[in-house]
Amino acid sequence: MTEAVLFMLLLGGVCGLVLSFASKIFYVYEDPRIAEVEGLLAGANCGGCGYAGCSAAAVAVVEGQAPPSVCVISGSETAALVAAVVGVDAGSAEPMRSYNTCQGGDRAVTKYHYMGINSCRALAALYGGMRECSVGCLGLGDCVRACAFDALKIGPDGYPVVDEAKCVGCGACEKVCPKNIMEIKTMSDKLLHLNQYDDRIAPCQQTCPAEIDIPKYISQIRNNDYEGAVKTIRERNPLLLSCGRVCPHPCEDLCRRGIEDEAVSINQLKRFVADYEMNSGKRIPISCALPTGKKVAVVGGGPAGLSCAYFLRRLGHEVTIFDAMPKLGGMIRYGIPEYRLPKEVLAWEIEGILNLGVKSRANVKLGRDFDMGSLVSAGYDAIFLGIGAWKDYSLKVEGEDLDGCFTGIDFLTRFAKNQQGDGGDSIKIGQKCAVIGGGNTAIDCVRTLVRLGAKEVTIVYRRTRNEMPANMVEIEAAEHEGVKFVFLAAPVRVIADDKGKAKQLEYLKMELGEPDASGRRRPVPIEGSETLLDVDMLVTAIGQGPDVSFKEDGKRMDDLGITRWNTIDSADPVALQTSIPYVFTAGDAATGASLVVEAIGGGRRAARSIHMFLSGKATTPPPKTLFKNHIPGSVFDAVDGIKQTPRVKMPELPVDERIKTFDEADLVISEDDALEESMRCLSCCLSCYNKDVADLPL
Amino acid sequence: MGDYILLVISCILVNNILLAQYLGNCPFLGTSKKMETAVGMAMAVVFVLVMAGVITWIADTFFLKRFGLEYLRTISFILVIAALVQFVEMFLKKSIPALYAGLGIFLPLITTNCAVMGVCLINIKEEYTFMQVIVSSFGYAVGFGLALILFAGVRERILLARVPKPLQDTSIALVTAGILSLTFYAFKGMV
Amino acid sequence: MAKSITQEFVKGLWDEIPPFRLVLGLCPVLAVTTTVENGLGMGLATTFVLVCSNMLVSLLRDIIPSKVRIACFIVIIATFVTVVELLMQAFTYPLFLKLGIFIPLIVVNCIVLGRSEAFAFKNPVMPSLADGLGIGIGFTLSLAALGAVREILGSGTFFNISLFGPSFQPFSLMVEAPGAFICLGLMLCIMNLVGNK
Repeated sequence: MTEAVLFMLLLGGVCGLVLSFASKIFYVYEDPRIAEVEGLLAGANCGGCGYAGCSAAAVAVVEGQAPPSVCVISGSETAALVAAVVGVDAGSAEPMRSYNTCQGGDRAVTKYHYMGINSCRALAALYGGMRECSVGCLGLGDCVRACAFDALKIGPDGYPVVDEAKCVGCGACEKVCPKNIMEIKTMSDKLLHLNQYDDRIAPCQQTCPAEIDIPKYISQIRNNDYEGAVKTIRERNPLLLSCGRVCPHPCEDLCRRGIEDEAVSINQLKRFVADYEMNSGKRIPISCALPTGKKVAVVGGGPAGLSCAYFLRRLGHEVTIFDAMPKLGGMIRYGIPEYRLPKEVLAWEIEGILNLGVKSRANVKLGRDFDMGSLVSAGYDAIFLGIGAWKDYSLKVEGEDLDGCFTGIDFLTRFAKNQQGDGGDSIKIGQKCAVIGGGNTAIDCVRTLVRLGAKEVTIVYRRTRNEMPANMVEIEAAEHEGVKFVFLAAPVRVIADDKGKAKQLEYLKMELGEPDASGRRRPVPIEGSETLLDVDMLVTAIGQGPDVSFKEDGKRMDDLGITRWNTIDSADPVALQTSIPYVFTAGDAATGASLVVEAIGGGRRAARSIHMFLSGKATTPPPKTLFKNHIPGSVFDAVDGIKQTPRVKMPELPVDERIKTFDEADLVISEDDALEESMRCLSCCLSCYNKDVADLPL
Repeated sequence: MGDYILLVISCILVNNILLAQYLGNCPFLGTSKKMETAVGMAMAVVFVLVMAGVITWIADTFFLKRFGLEYLRTISFILVIAALVQFVEMFLKKSIPALYAGLGIFLPLITTNCAVMGVCLINIKEEYTFMQVIVSSFGYAVGFGLALILFAGVRERILLARVPKPLQDTSIALVTAGILSLTFYAFKGMV
Repeated sequence: MAKSITQEFVKGLWDEIPPFRLVLGLCPVLAVTTTVENGLGMGLATTFVLVCSNMLVSLLRDIIPSKVRIACFIVIIATFVTVVELLMQAFTYPLFLKLGIFIPLIVVNCIVLGRSEAFAFKNPVMPSLADGLGIGIGFTLSLAALGAVREILGSGTFFNISLFGPSFQPFSLMVEAPGAFICLGLMLCIMNLVGNK
């Protein structure tokens, strides 16, 4: 008896001692969550779960390869506790949420009739599934069975629907899905996602430079979930009020309805929900990740800078915007006239971004008041250069600097500053005004001049109306407002009167020749066709580029690469990292003058790269990143099952009223119209879409 | 020498620990869903079984028998095995991480694997010598691995087959194990 | 969600009956169920260990630090297994010989350890006792049922009483290893059918 007790004590003591010493000697760091999860699991090491013991199961759970309900011994209580441990990403404490990426489901075309066992995995092994769509949901519900929290069910359309309230983000569904329909992502993951070649996205979303999930927000509008629609847009575009007004909506060009019918008025719908939020009087809350402790300087408060600052702030970084002008907004404040984007609206939008905790400093110019060296020494971990394209190209003709001659951006900016009370001299407007150029800046100039009371406003353009790069709606609006157009005219010189003031514009008539590199027919001058046009004010708006003069007088800037178009060089147009690793760029500064929505998308891509850079990861985009391209097979030539239904008319101020004021010319569509328009959307996915049914509510 | 060869064959095929001795069935069903896991598990069992066999034999011969404490066999064996496995796991994790990644993660599962405990008890019951203990432990472990890997191969196929609903999962796995066991049954009487 | 003690007991007989609902502890299930008698004996031995260890774990649940709880469970279980071993050696020696190493192997039976962890460690003594008893009896019944099927088919007897007379050719595969697997698999299938799980 005594020896038995002694023996057991001795044995227990030896084992205990050896193990406690061993645990000190052989200590290896591991994720603390693994130990926490292991403590919660049964510890019986029975192997019933398919993993090699409880610690292996714990590792698998923490790595997201096994669901929290992995343990066959312990009940749902333990599963919930485990989920609480792993559902929280240690780095950011952002909750993971599951969501499905396929909106096709049953409507995708069936390839063969499947009679096998009720398992997506088995079905996927047979020619990748029974549907024509190779990436879509198979609908047999492996994910539903995998979910231990009853948060998933196969919806009426044959694809899984997530109950967000029940989802704990355990990742069980993501793991079992053979088609990767189910994804578990934190808010940050979603904000950082770039369109991929194997994503399930409609042509409009592939086209949008900001990559907004258009079908999703339109379907939210259809379901009266305007707040949800705003949130969806804000995942990609923080400037929805501005974009809803000024975006030339390249997305609508590829709308599938547009192939057989008129395209869905996507941008009007965006404007409708954006205005809905603003008019509701309260802001929809925007969530940000936990602070990362990194500081980023955003140089330039235009659309690219604002977008970049917004996304960086939501990703948890500390952001300060530096802007040379008195107020934020850049070109959308100083380049786009009041009648297209009221300053009041813009101010409300920018205030929303600053409310997230973005700091801003106005009236400080890169190269004059600070340089990159001072930013680095002030403790900024990364710098974003979104300085835009503010330098007008000159005509390089005789007399273009005479009194009465202006350049486009300079004219618009000076006028806008003056109009907003930001100082600057007022401009004396002539009676006979001519604007040279065919882009949006030229149109903005003429429409501004009309509103300022100029008697005769003419656009002088060296090609024809068809080649004008300005938006067609803008050109039409200008025509309605009485602007004259002189096409196929190349200015040769400006003739001064005896006081040295511009009096006449001499131009050569042109004819169209062979198409050039841009596909437009090259204008060729006709010999001896010199013509004179009487003017007392001339605005040259033939294009603009970034002003990179800061490079000459700043420190640490020698390494910054500049392209031969004077834009800031970034080796990869998606990564947007410049030749200085901690400096990033986007917007007009990187691309040359382009669209607002392009700058917004660029701002987000740069924010992604900065986030990666600050997290110590590679800034290179994933190999399947879709950029300025389309997924093969997703763009159709013909679309059947479409019933012709006209798009809603955008309300606008009557011409005689609008030419007198700077009041907003284009108005928002009504709620009824918005709902009706949202019904026109086919809710396209990669290859399938909703066909019009006979009783489409109209 | 011939005796040892006979012993190995007997342990691997005739008295296969999984399919003839009914030991270690929990991990047999649990870890055979994927080939990868099955291979890792098989390696880990070979590794631990030999060590456990040796150490329990030493404990039994030099301590329990000497002091007449054979009735403490169960409790002391499980303690020794558990401590040994834990120690080896910690050692591998720190010193040979590559090996740990391959088979170390399977170690905890082996603590409560009745195959390990069972083989140790069989070794004592059959009154094997030290060399025989090493050979038989190795043989049983290889038999375990063989059956597990064969079974995992079959199960990966079953996953894609059309199985009636009530028979799905563990049920069909057991019937499959039965058929596999039948093939090992043919070795009976060979030794 | 406090269940009554009766409920804790009853759930082990059907809702969570091992090894059908909780597919654990298969080794003794397969190995000793060649006859009803063996099955019953094994089941009762396991029940004894299960009840005792559940009770002791439940009593000590406030004292045992949760970090070393598994080691403590194993020692407690091993102690009771030793007790059973000695008791059987003393009173039912023939059965002890038949069951052989499977009696000491109760110590590594996942069901026993699993109940300590999943139930007894979190619940007071009486429910733990009821849980242990319920699961134990459920386990015994399963073993006896499997034993009965295999004995009747494989040897043509029931409790060693011949059923079909001398002309019966026993389906001897059933008492061998392959029969054990197939029989258990099919019974699991029947349970799934009945329980529409």
